[in-house]
Amino acid sequence: MNKMATIIGFTFKNKVRTKSFMITTLILVLLLSIGMNIPYLIKVFNGEDGTKDATQIGVVAEQGFRPAELLLAYTPPAEAEDKVVFTAYPSAEDAALKQGLEDEKIEGYLTFAAEGSEGVPPVTYHSKDGEIDSELKTNLQAALQQVNTGLIVGDKLTESQVAAIFAPVSIDTAQLSTDGAVGSADQDQSKPIINYVIVYILLILFFMSVMMTGNMISAEITSEKSSRIMEILITSASPLTQMFGKVIGIFLVGLMQIAIISAAIAVNLMLPHNSTILSDFDLNLGQLNVSMIVYGFILYILGYFLYALMYAAVGSIVSRTEDLGQAVMPVMMLGFVSFYLPLFSISNPDTLLVKVASFVPFTSSLSLLLRIGVGEVAFWEIMVSLAILLATTFLFGWLAAKIYRTGVLMYGKRPSIKEIRKAMKAYKI
Amino acid sequence: MEALQLKQVVKQYGEKTAVNGISLKVEQGEIYGLLGANGAGKTTTMRMVLGLIYPDEGSILYNGKPYSKELQHLMGYLPEERGLYPKVKVSDQIIYLAQLRGMSASEADKSLKYWLERFDVPEYYNKKIEELSKGNQQKMGFVAAVVHKPKILILDEAFSGLDPVNVELLKDTVREMRDLGTSILFSTHRMEHVEELCRNITILDRSNTVVQGDIREIKKGYPREEVVLRTAGEVNGLAELAGVTGVQRQERGYVLTINDLGAAQRILQLAVAQGEVEHFEIKEPTLNQIFIRAVGESNE
Repeated sequence: MNKMATIIGFTFKNKVRTKSFMITTLILVLLLSIGMNIPYLIKVFNGEDGTKDATQIGVVAEQGFRPAELLLAYTPPAEAEDKVVFTAYPSAEDAALKQGLEDEKIEGYLTFAAEGSEGVPPVTYHSKDGEIDSELKTNLQAALQQVNTGLIVGDKLTESQVAAIFAPVSIDTAQLSTDGAVGSADQDQSKPIINYVIVYILLILFFMSVMMTGNMISAEITSEKSSRIMEILITSASPLTQMFGKVIGIFLVGLMQIAIISAAIAVNLMLPHNSTILSDFDLNLGQLNVSMIVYGFILYILGYFLYALMYAAVGSIVSRTEDLGQAVMPVMMLGFVSFYLPLFSISNPDTLLVKVASFVPFTSSLSLLLRIGVGEVAFWEIMVSLAILLATTFLFGWLAAKIYRTGVLMYGKRPSIKEIRKAMKAYKI
Repeated sequence: MEALQLKQVVKQYGEKTAVNGISLKVEQGEIYGLLGANGAGKTTTMRMVLGLIYPDEGSILYNGKPYSKELQHLMGYLPEERGLYPKVKVSDQIIYLAQLRGMSASEADKSLKYWLERFDVPEYYNKKIEELSKGNQQKMGFVAAVVHKPKILILDEAFSGLDPVNVELLKDTVREMRDLGTSILFSTHRMEHVEELCRNITILDRSNTVVQGDIREIKKGYPREEVVLRTAGEVNGLAELAGVTGVQRQERGYVLTINDLGAAQRILQLAVAQGEVEHFEIKEPTLNQIFIRAVGESNE
């Protein structure tokens, strides 16, 4: 145990002091800080009041042209973020219109085709670059749709009836209660948005951390092997102690990195100009599910150890650092699958695929986290998945130690699976 | 009881036999030389002694007992490729390695400082290995192997790549360790080092033991075939003497090869008859010659 502590301390101290670790962490913190301040920066660039100026659009039509009159009378809904203001001009050659376009005060103007049978005749949008951005198009469509209705309906409906036509139909969702699901108490409520945000952050954080530290482990082992310091280490401490010492040491490195990044997030959230971010996005930290964070942490630890052990085994088989990239490919692929599967399923976490993945040990850590965070999962499912993951991690711990003991003394070409198996039988851990 | 004993140890890698039935005994406080050409099985033998790999047949005993975990603290090892972390400070890694071998950090620190003083390089304490020259890296490797005061020390090509001054320094240290009771298994292909340091040797050739024993006994077993003669004037008729197979005229005398010891006496008589003899010596075969003959013979 004493030796294990020595190895953990040595590994941790040397990794944390490397330039690459410091620089990576610094860059992550910087990127994160910039990212979190983007809403604020956008506000600053868009003027002090924080709202965009209304878009000026010209309407070229003859006096008394009914669709144009209705369009000029159109008032955008109060909640709309980008407002469109229409101004009438008698012709496209109008000096004021030209000046406005020149000064970029007016975005563009609309013309109408010859009057059609009924409703609004086809409309053409004219602008300098001949393009229309999608937001403006939506706004114009909404306005013209209303004009269209106005034209067709005329005075047959009251204003409130017209308003009712345009009011969006609301769809609510309700969860069917089934006998079998004993799960969480808040099943009838939809998951708070904060859960999605946290799951998203945890997925990325855990994945990055596991991949980075995993690569650190295999690189460390391969370099120890190629510098032959391994021969001294193996004769000083048992391979099992060594491997776990290293894996735990690097685990602490990863943990520290996560702590630094979390601290950076917290500091950024607490900056005075960012105080409204959470409420702007309708997020309430009070809704945060503490059990989710706890499960997340357990899953991170187990997932980390499983992957770290695989990386350690691979690192011990390779003799030269140049060959390492190729050898860790399969492990990385597995890692990518375990990451992208829940990431792409975040809006739809209860598919069969995610359910299956949450029981497969290599993908379960992140998939189960997704299900706990934003999906439906029964307590027994969590326990079974955790048990499978734990058992697999122990199995891999044993297997990796065997491979490690064997691999670290194999030099030259990469050994075949058969050779490894034969040699593994020979060594006690 | 022998500090280290190998009994008919065999190691095979697949079809290839790396070590074929080696037996040897190292007493406490003895430097034992393991000689052989490249690929003869020296390193494999050492790795088996270290417990890095297991012998397929035979046994290795330490103070009469088989390998056990406690030996990890008692053994020191300098591998042929200097095993140290290039990017870690000398003090950090040597104290770390000593701790792994069961020393406390403060003891290890004291011992490291002693060795750095001993090698007259106390300033290396805070240097990284990659900042040192190759020879100095090797010295640090040696320090790493002895810092925890091992009882059994295994040195694989300890002196290769060192300048003569450092070779002498290291030889002195090795002798000092021997006098303190450390048993040293020492491999090299530089015969002069072996002759100076070792009492017993084993010469390996392609996995097999070809010569083994006390150096003096081994030398006695080989015929003395070289006579060095220095005289004031010229000596005529040396080549015609019975038993003389070769005469080499040198700046201040002759080197003769003979095929029976009686010829040496005849050479001396002839020389004395013709003038004053300054120097006469029947030379022992050098280890180098023995090695070349032993390895050469087994190749034929």
